[in-house]
Amino acid sequence: MSTVSETPTLTTEARGAGHPTDDRTEQQSTARRSARTRRAGKRLVYHLAVLALVVVILYPAVWMLMSSFKPSSDIIGNINVIPETWTFDNYTKAFGGIAGISFWTFFKNSLILAVASVVGVVLSATVSAYAFARIDFPGRGVFFAIMIGTLLLPFHVVIIPQYIIFNNLGLVNSFWPLLLGKFLAAEAFFVFLMVQFMRNLPRELDEAARIDGAGHVRIFRSIMLPLMRPAIITSSIFAFIWSWNDFLGPLLYLKQPDLYSLPIALRIYVDQTSVSDYGAQMAMAVLALIPVLLFFIAFQRYIVAGVATQGLKG
Amino acid sequence: MRIARTKLATGLGTATVLALALTACSGSSDGAGSDDAAPVDTEEDITLTFAFWGNDDRADKYAQSIDLFEEANPNITVQEQFQSWPDYWTARNTEAAGSSLPDVMQMDLSYLRQYAAAGQLADLSGQIDTNLDVSGFDESLLASGTVDGTQYAIPTSVNTFAMFYNPALVESLGVDLPAEGYTWDDYFAWIEEASAAGADMDPQLYGAGDPTAVFWLFLQNLIQQGIDPFTEDGQLGFTPEDMTAWLDKGQPLRDAGATFPIDQVKQIEPLGGFTVNQSATEISWDNFLAGYVADSGTEDIAMLPIPAGDDGAKMFPKPSMLLAPSANSENPDAAAALISFLVNDPEVGTIFGTSKGVPAVQAQVDAMGVEDGSVDARVVEYEESIADLITETAPLPVEGFGAVEAEYLRLSEELQYGTITVDEFVEQWFASAEQSIPQS
Repeated sequence: MSTVSETPTLTTEARGAGHPTDDRTEQQSTARRSARTRRAGKRLVYHLAVLALVVVILYPAVWMLMSSFKPSSDIIGNINVIPETWTFDNYTKAFGGIAGISFWTFFKNSLILAVASVVGVVLSATVSAYAFARIDFPGRGVFFAIMIGTLLLPFHVVIIPQYIIFNNLGLVNSFWPLLLGKFLAAEAFFVFLMVQFMRNLPRELDEAARIDGAGHVRIFRSIMLPLMRPAIITSSIFAFIWSWNDFLGPLLYLKQPDLYSLPIALRIYVDQTSVSDYGAQMAMAVLALIPVLLFFIAFQRYIVAGVATQGLKG
Repeated sequence: MRIARTKLATGLGTATVLALALTACSGSSDGAGSDDAAPVDTEEDITLTFAFWGNDDRADKYAQSIDLFEEANPNITVQEQFQSWPDYWTARNTEAAGSSLPDVMQMDLSYLRQYAAAGQLADLSGQIDTNLDVSGFDESLLASGTVDGTQYAIPTSVNTFAMFYNPALVESLGVDLPAEGYTWDDYFAWIEEASAAGADMDPQLYGAGDPTAVFWLFLQNLIQQGIDPFTEDGQLGFTPEDMTAWLDKGQPLRDAGATFPIDQVKQIEPLGGFTVNQSATEISWDNFLAGYVADSGTEDIAMLPIPAGDDGAKMFPKPSMLLAPSANSENPDAAAALISFLVNDPEVGTIFGTSKGVPAVQAQVDAMGVEDGSVDARVVEYEESIADLITETAPLPVEGFGAVEAEYLRLSEELQYGTITVDEFVEQWFASAEQSIPQS
């Protein structure tokens, strides 16, 4: 927008520079004008740089969206972003599913996992965070340190022991291994996030409630929970997106194709050892992205709010 | 949650039934060893798990084949699962750690030794003639599923090397193809002659890419010299001198610039000199024909046997994939029956065609019903024409094969760019092989 409005000023300035004059007001206004021009110039450069950055960042997404409308043979080795021939075959194929299992089954599985993860994280992390932040139980420091320690433990170290445990419990090939940890507050990141948030809430509030005769349960439910809304929303968003995009967990624990989540199904279309159907994969990728995108658009203002409030109250 | 719990309950139920059935079995068979194969019980309900890698198309084909199997064996239910190639091995490796591999799984030659050595695969020898029919198999092909003499896997289908040529290009070069029974030296001389003839043409034509750049061809050449590329205990069976001798064969071609240039290969990847119709020949696996025809747009691509060594071509069929039962399977008999069905049943042959390679068993080849002149028919015809030249068994790759093969490819590119010499190539490759191949 600024580009359009500032262009005339630029030309005036160029003309003015060619005819110097000793009129003071003229000079002043020229100075003011040139300052404005400089600022406009800066803004122009800034906008151009940001636009260039947007193009670089959005290009893969646009490429994916456009490729999903191309015939499979045109996707690799063709640099043209706009399809030469538009086709909806890829979407027909993606909705057709794999080996008799419909796209909606994969979608439903992903959704169940994501929603249950959110519920699990919110239920368990809030309670454990309350204990860490407000209850002075023996060994609190040690337990807190251990919890933080699990954050530092690389996921790949625990894959195999975890698999063996779940396998011996007979829980492989169900959603349990993917959800149990979330209902037991094993996601230290969320607990830590909420503990930090809760520590910043004024203690006077609980003290007042205590004087009025409230116990821990009552304080947690009536005082803490409503105040923790931003932290809960932030955690929910992360839990949803992480679960939706999780690949390794479902790959290891879900054996039956009718339990597969979307990221697993997505990969079936591209196999180096046989023929790859890039078109169907692109279409599936677009379809898989839509829910996350909608979720993000609906809740994005809370992300900023949630993170910002935690940062400010130091 | 209720669904999951019901499933858990059914699972427990099945497990109890199985446990009871197993006790019943061992009771009635008078303490016979559990290793002995018995015909599959037709009464008890059996659930088998079966895993394979592949795309959606293969998943459909297996689903159809398994429906046929379940029809023939009403008491067996097969639960399939599939992943793409790299994910498949991530999942299997994790399961192997928990001893919970699927009852039957698709296996690749390069992983066979690793899984067999770790005791993850069941011995099929006892199942032969009871639940597993191998009468349709060629001896040397069947042997490619063995490790240290034990049959751990059954090949489903094969690929064999072929010398592909583009008759139109050969004609325009005006240099006659080497006569049948030609040797590697004949072939290298032919490439030099052909590239010289094509040097002034537009676009410039070449005889071939550098054949010494293909690791499997080096192995093939070793076999022709009577050297086993890999020893019984999974180590290298050749010396640095063997590799130097092979690479030296290509040196005159590289010096004369008579091979399709590497910098052009890099520009047109994933295509190659042969598929852009600038290189007249290429040696590769015969199932590449479909890809070559599709990529080059040239319908007329023909195949010859590969160059011979001192005592003949000594070619080997390479299993494109195998089926293996896991050692932790509770139903080894049913697992063997499933493998037998998938490799032998003619209707399964009709379903798959040559999508996995040419079927290992003739009955499946006959059932494919290929159209005359189609790509499938030409591959089958070629395999029949070279049947007499196939006298060897595919070498069983060492553990870490993927890494050493990739290193060979990388170094041969450097060699073609001229940044390293043959001696440096050999030295670097052996150094990296020592890292990649587990020392026993």
